[in-house]
Amino acid sequence: MTTPLSTAQQSLGDVAELPSVTFGHRSLMWWGTLGFMVIEGWTLALITAMYFYVRQNFETWPPLRTPRPSLTAPTVNLAVMIVSVLPVYLASRAARRLDLRGVRLWLLVSSLISLPIPILRWYELWALNVRWDSNAYGTAAWTIVGTHASLLLLDVADTIGLTLFFWFKRLPIKVMSDVTDNSFYWYFMVLIWIPLYFVVYVSPYVL
Amino acid sequence: MTSAGRRLLHNDSPTPGTLPGSAPELLSEETVLEQARLLDITWRDGGGLWGWLTTVDHKLIARRYVVTAFLMFIAGGIEAAMMRLQLARPENTFLGPDRYNQIFTVHGTTMMFLFAVPIMTAMGLYLVPLMVGARSIAFPRLNAFGYYAYLVGVVFLYVSLFINMGPDAGWTAYVPLSGPQYSPGHRLDVWAQVVTFTEIAALCAAVNIIVTVFKLRAPGISLNRIPLFVWSQLVVSFMIVFAMPAVATASTLQLAADRALSTQWFNPAEGGDALLWQHIFWFFGHPEVYIIFLPGLGFISPIIETFCRRRVFGYLAIVLANITTGFFAFGLWVHHMFATPIPELGQSLFTAASLVIAIPTGVQIFCWLVTLLSGRPRLTTAMIFILGFFITFVNGGLTGVMVASVAFDKQVHDTFFVVAHFHYVLLGGAVMPLFAAFYYWFPKATGRLLDESLGKWHAWLFILGVNVAFFPMHILGLNGMPRRVYTYLASTGWGPLNALSTIGAVVVVISVALFVVNAAMSARVGRPAGANPWDSYGLEWATTSPPPNYNFVNTPIVLGRHPLWDTGSPLPVITGLRADRREVLVTTAFDAEPDYRHRQPNASIWPLFLALCMAEFWIGSIFTPWAVVGGFGLTLLGMLGWGWQSSRQIEVERVDTDLQIIDTV
Amino acid sequence: MRRSRRLHGVATCVVLVSCVVACHGPQNVLDPAGSPNRIVNRLFWSMLVVSATVWIGVVGAALWGALTRRRTTREDLEPVVDLPNDDKQRQTRLVGALIAGTALILLLFLVFDFTVGRALAEHPNRALTIEIIGHQWWWEIQYVDADPSKIVVDANELHIPAGEPVQVTLSSRDVIHSFWVPNIIGKRDLIPGYTSSIFLDADRPGTYRAQCAEFCGVEHAKMALTVIVHSRADFTTWLAAQRAPATEPNDSSTKEGQRIFLAGPCSSCHSITGTAAYGTIGPDLTHLASRKTIGAGALANTRGNLAGWVVDPQSLKPGVRMPSNQLAPKDLLALLDYLESLK
Repeated sequence: MTTPLSTAQQSLGDVAELPSVTFGHRSLMWWGTLGFMVIEGWTLALITAMYFYVRQNFETWPPLRTPRPSLTAPTVNLAVMIVSVLPVYLASRAARRLDLRGVRLWLLVSSLISLPIPILRWYELWALNVRWDSNAYGTAAWTIVGTHASLLLLDVADTIGLTLFFWFKRLPIKVMSDVTDNSFYWYFMVLIWIPLYFVVYVSPYVL
Repeated sequence: MTSAGRRLLHNDSPTPGTLPGSAPELLSEETVLEQARLLDITWRDGGGLWGWLTTVDHKLIARRYVVTAFLMFIAGGIEAAMMRLQLARPENTFLGPDRYNQIFTVHGTTMMFLFAVPIMTAMGLYLVPLMVGARSIAFPRLNAFGYYAYLVGVVFLYVSLFINMGPDAGWTAYVPLSGPQYSPGHRLDVWAQVVTFTEIAALCAAVNIIVTVFKLRAPGISLNRIPLFVWSQLVVSFMIVFAMPAVATASTLQLAADRALSTQWFNPAEGGDALLWQHIFWFFGHPEVYIIFLPGLGFISPIIETFCRRRVFGYLAIVLANITTGFFAFGLWVHHMFATPIPELGQSLFTAASLVIAIPTGVQIFCWLVTLLSGRPRLTTAMIFILGFFITFVNGGLTGVMVASVAFDKQVHDTFFVVAHFHYVLLGGAVMPLFAAFYYWFPKATGRLLDESLGKWHAWLFILGVNVAFFPMHILGLNGMPRRVYTYLASTGWGPLNALSTIGAVVVVISVALFVVNAAMSARVGRPAGANPWDSYGLEWATTSPPPNYNFVNTPIVLGRHPLWDTGSPLPVITGLRADRREVLVTTAFDAEPDYRHRQPNASIWPLFLALCMAEFWIGSIFTPWAVVGGFGLTLLGMLGWGWQSSRQIEVERVDTDLQIIDTV
Repeated sequence: MRRSRRLHGVATCVVLVSCVVACHGPQNVLDPAGSPNRIVNRLFWSMLVVSATVWIGVVGAALWGALTRRRTTREDLEPVVDLPNDDKQRQTRLVGALIAGTALILLLFLVFDFTVGRALAEHPNRALTIEIIGHQWWWEIQYVDADPSKIVVDANELHIPAGEPVQVTLSSRDVIHSFWVPNIIGKRDLIPGYTSSIFLDADRPGTYRAQCAEFCGVEHAKMALTVIVHSRADFTTWLAAQRAPATEPNDSSTKEGQRIFLAGPCSSCHSITGTAAYGTIGPDLTHLASRKTIGAGALANTRGNLAGWVVDPQSLKPGVRMPSNQLAPKDLLALLDYLESLK
């Protein structure tokens, strides 16, 4: 340890009465989450740009002898994802009210509803009807779905982890703020998927 | 906060007042010392090796970062010296082509990814929390994780080089040369993964710095009082957020996938595209240059202000110049591709953008020039390096303006002219200001001053050596010498200028050796510095040298752009952060008004653990796909442990539910 | 007066020396031999003069401010001084003027660059089309003709007539290479999957040297191209000679050499028109003996070098695709005789 500056100081105020837990954009973690959302969203945007870049190298889209993607699994999954926003939102609202029972309930519902999403995602990959190594079209489509899927998987794991914590452990109140941040990230995962769904599954019917 | 408080913090006249709800209070020396004692216990790391591995102190992490990155500068320098020896005379046989190609690739990769970006972010990770008056950085564990991820990259690259597995396709790794067909083996896999590690580290640092600047500024540091170095770090962090995902995508999701999973991104036979790599690489690669030298420019203002005893001219202009540079940097990438078959109209637009970006850089240079001319500077070593910056960087900037011209660029692109140009920019715009910063902030980090007379030898020799080494390369390039050649015929006539260039390189090596000796000696027996050896103005000088583990006993209150010059020492403070746990004061994003007290984590092993899991994941994936499965499981385990640690201690908290503040257990 | 004369002398010497070092040679941007590069040279020299002036101004001011006006007392710390408003206004005006000046210079550069770009973009009528294909690490050159029997395939030596724009189409067989003849024209990349075309416009006969400018793998440094600019008449003669099939072996030694060439591994990579050798991996050797260099500019085309090249190319150009060849001394001599007969 170094010797501190030994000097008297003039205090002009006291922050002892300020809160130690806040929600939303006031909290540090919210900003950190936002930072990583921007990074991940930007990555997905770049991959989408490259999808359209390689589009120029083909006369037809999808390329000759490549079937169009199937729409069933992707559309079902999109619907599940959109529905899942509701319990996630309710969990976040309960957390803001420090309503422990509400948080437990809605986190459980969120976990249950989000469990099938990665499983459906597996079928979504095969619904592309092209292999990743067949041609640049397959590569680009697999990369978009795959990248989003790996982020999704981590977030589902995070939600389930939180749920387990809340059900089996006594937690400090600060974790309530983590619930709202987890919800914040989930909205992002769902929201960014909507345009990606249209790019990967619908655009080959249009372009 | 009430309007009275707002008036206090944002009034430009530095008259002390008080924040509402509390009377001004004089804290006696004993009170301050007692507070410091308690804080030291709370913020202290564990002892021994465990303590060393688990620390999350931003200063310790940043110090390791700086030392590691500087070792990388030396490694890259040794590689440069080897190349210069090989090229010293025609048809030399010191290095064969295979070894030479590995060396120049590793030189570029080291200097760009393992030295320049990390050392600049590391300087930010050390200085930004101190400059904004914070106890710590926003996310201490993320910070440690970023460092370890970077360290894994460093070790991986150099182990690979020593077992003859060093990448050999240039630091730009153009496809298809770097693809599975023309670079079989693992050399390019090493490159792709090293890039991934360093990008992850840079992104962690960027998010950390952005949140620290937005949310942890001491009361009173409104946007128009943020120190210029912090501004440059903020702009650069935003640039990292938008540039690094591009190269991470290119190296991991495209190049590594093409090599390992047979994806078809770059294979023209299956609709892939070799030019796509260049677009996305330079979309990162050009901003990268500004990511490296904007922090360099950020060092300059405080150093000139301190040694000229003048406040810098044009604070607002410099801030705006930083921001516009950050924006424009993303609109120039095609000027690296003028020799490729892309439409001419597009090329002209990029010429215009490349010329326009010279204006904000010019603005900053002119502001420093008039500041310098309005004072009577003291020629310390740091100031000599600033002169070196003018001599060298302005030259590099002007050749940069010249190569913005498509027609001229097609003649000098990929020649030694361009090698000279970017070394002038990077050595002049980043390394010379960095050395100035070392001389300036070394006393803050170690408590001891670097030796000035040795320093002046270092400075002048470095400036001389750099110019002797690189100036002849302009002529060599015009005389037709392409870059990245391991040898040349005597009949080309390039021998004498190459020999001269090698002599310059030797001078550079000597001068850097002098610095290493100086740093090693001064850290032990240098003159003690005291808190503020240069009588400077920033908050970092308002605490001891080196700063204690909690940075500030009480959070300072800032009433102007130059706190210690405006109010004099000691600064007024705000009290009330708890001393028995690690708390930081979070303030509002724009006006920096106190908002809440954030609890920060204690020392933790999970950052190191998670970085090692990721190393297993990425490095293992080169050799076997099973590594991905194992790595994914381990990563989940690491995240679980990380989250578990955050959720352990239960005690009374004051929660702001947006409706009311309540106390809870 | 005397001093100024001496200065004048020194200046002349400097200019002369630097010109000897810098401004002449067969691979030199500053020694233009074609109209595109002449225009670029004008652009370069004017930008250089302006840039040098700016550099002297900025660096001079910084050095003057720091070195002549520095504080001499070492340890005393002056108090920080705030400048009076008058001075601040003067500074504002000065910086404003400097920025305006910078913008003006940049605008001039931009206009100049655009006019140069337009001058270079003019597509002249062409008589001749040459196709250049990049390989690791050599150049394949085809003189295109509507009549397939008149197509000439050559390697590592580009022959063009002076005073006529020649269309050159560029493509690559493997990785990215870059075509650049410093004296005549700037670079254009050869990118797999792309074909691009430029106009080569040489205006004085001579021999120039070009070299691959984009890093293309282990032997990037030894991928040179000799560019020979002929007068029109010489070019026509040369092209006619190249159209002829390979010289038939006419004595026992060259016949034996040809047998070795065709029976051994040579013919699986190289082709010689009029024989059974039509490998396409390595350069066409139909008129090998007429070339100035071997190994894409690595060595002069002499009998000794050729012998070394055939037996152990890996020691002369490490990494080159050509394997080493174990030949009995007698066989080697016969093979060399044959190769040297391919005029």
